[in-house]
Amino acid sequence: MSPLSRLRHVLPTSCSTLSSLHRTPCYAITRQASTKVAATFSDQSKPTNSIYVSLSNDPYFNLSFEDWLFRHAPHTRPLLLLYRDTPCVIIGRNQNPWTEVNFPALQATGIPFIRRRSGGGTDLGNTNFSIHVPRTTFDRTMTAQIVLRAVRALGIPSADVNTRNDITVAGEKVSGSAYKIANNRAYHHGTMLISTRLDTLGALLRPDKVCEGIQTKGVASVRSPVCNLAKVNAETTHDAFVQAVVDEFRREYGMDEDVQYVDDGAKTQLDYVRKGMEELPSWDWAYGQTPEFTHDLAHSFSWGAVSATISSKHGRIISCAFTPARGGDADLSRELSALSERLVGAKYGFLQKELETDKQEDVRAREVASWLKEKLNL
Amino acid sequence: MIAKGYTEEHEILAFDDETGLGTVSITDHAQSSLGDVVFVELPSVGTAIQKGDQIGAVESVKAASDIYAPVSGEVVEVNERLNTEPSLLNKSPEDEGWLCKIKLSALEERDALLSAEDYKKSYES
Repeated sequence: MSPLSRLRHVLPTSCSTLSSLHRTPCYAITRQASTKVAATFSDQSKPTNSIYVSLSNDPYFNLSFEDWLFRHAPHTRPLLLLYRDTPCVIIGRNQNPWTEVNFPALQATGIPFIRRRSGGGTDLGNTNFSIHVPRTTFDRTMTAQIVLRAVRALGIPSADVNTRNDITVAGEKVSGSAYKIANNRAYHHGTMLISTRLDTLGALLRPDKVCEGIQTKGVASVRSPVCNLAKVNAETTHDAFVQAVVDEFRREYGMDEDVQYVDDGAKTQLDYVRKGMEELPSWDWAYGQTPEFTHDLAHSFSWGAVSATISSKHGRIISCAFTPARGGDADLSRELSALSERLVGAKYGFLQKELETDKQEDVRAREVASWLKEKLNL
Repeated sequence: MIAKGYTEEHEILAFDDETGLGTVSITDHAQSSLGDVVFVELPSVGTAIQKGDQIGAVESVKAASDIYAPVSGEVVEVNERLNTEPSLLNKSPEDEGWLCKIKLSALEERDALLSAEDYKKSYES
C-alpha cells in the first residue's frame, strides 16, 4: 500500500458543521492600506509580528522567508503568512521529481519545479497561506477551519473540508495542504486555487504512463479533481482571499495586529533567507533529496534487445544491471559491464560524460548509452 | 554503559562507552506528535556528519520533519528495517525504531546534550 493511500484510511473525517458560522464578507479591501510598506530586516532580526503578507511573487523567496519565520518566531505565538507565487510546480519534501513532474513540458514553459520543505504531494503554486502554531497545540483540522471560514466568507458557502483536510467546493479541491513539524513549532501551509490556468499547469504534472518502470519509495501524490474559486464566485481575487484569511486568523486567535508587508528586498537583509534561496534550486536539494528508486527499461536494437535495471539513491545511480536478450556475446557483456561501471555515481537525469566510451569499437555500448541518455535525461 | 542525551530537536543519542558508538533515535514524544510514520529517509553508511547537519527526514500522515545529527562523526550503520517498516518509529522509537549509529569524532559534544528532565522542560515551556 502506498503511504498516501494508507493516509486516507487513517485520517479522521473532518467535521463540516460550520455553515451556521458563515459570515457576510464585510471587509473586501477597505482595511488594506493603499500603500504597502515592506518591512526592513537586519541579520539580527527576529520576527516580531504575527501577520505577514509577502508582496514578492518569487516562490524561492516566499518559501525561504516562510522557513525563516518558522525557525525564528517565538514558538508559543500563532503566526500567519500569505503570499502569491508565479506559476511553479511544487513537490513534497519526500517525493520523486521523476514520477511527479513532466520535465519536457516544464522545460518548454520555463516554469520551475521546486522541492518544498514540508511533506505531502505535488501542487501547482499560486496563492498560498501558511499558519504557524506551537507543536503542542498543532491541530490540522483546526487550521483548516480558519481557511474554510475565510473561503465561505468570500461568498462561497458550499466550501467544505474533505477527509484529507483539503478545502473543496462541490467535491472538487480548491486547496492542497502540506505540513511541517520541527523543534517546538509546526505549520500548515497550502495553496488556494483562485484563477489558476488549470489546463496548462495540469499538463506539467507527470502522466502515469510516462513514468512506467519507476518504482519509488517516498510519498506519492493523490490525484484529485480541482477547480478555481473564481469558477464559483467570479469576483474572488487574491487580495480578497488574503484579507478574508487575515480576518479569520485575527478572530480565531483574538488578535488585532496590523499586517506586516514584506518584499524580496528582505533576501539581501536576511542571510538565512538568502541561503535558503540558494539551497532550494541546488541539485543537492531539488534532486539529491529524492527517495530511493529503481527504473526498469528495455529497448530493441538492430543487433538485439537489452533490458536495464537502474537503482538510484540520493539522486545518484548506485547500480545499473544490463541484461541482453539470450545472454548476448562475450564482447557485448564486456562493453555493457564497462558502461554500468561508468554509470555508478552519476547523477540520474544528468548523464553526460559517464556514458562516453573512448573505445571506438564498442558500437553497441554507445548505442545503449545514447538510449539511456534519451530516456533518463528528461 | 549506555548514557542517553537529548536534543531540543527531539533526537536521542544513546552512547555506548564500550563501542564508542552513539545510536540516534527520535523521542517517544516526537513520534506521538508526528503520528503514523509513512516514510523515513536515512543517511548513507560512511557519511561524515557535523553536529546539527540534517541527516534524514521523517514523514508521517500529519507532517514532514527533519532529523539532525546530535553529534559529529561518521555514520557506521543505519536501520535498514525502517525502509520497509517505517511504523517501527511509532511502535518502538528508542529500540527497534533506531535510526543510525554514529562513531563520534568529538566525544565532548555529548556534554551539550540535554538530560531527560531538561529535554522535557524544553518542549513543555
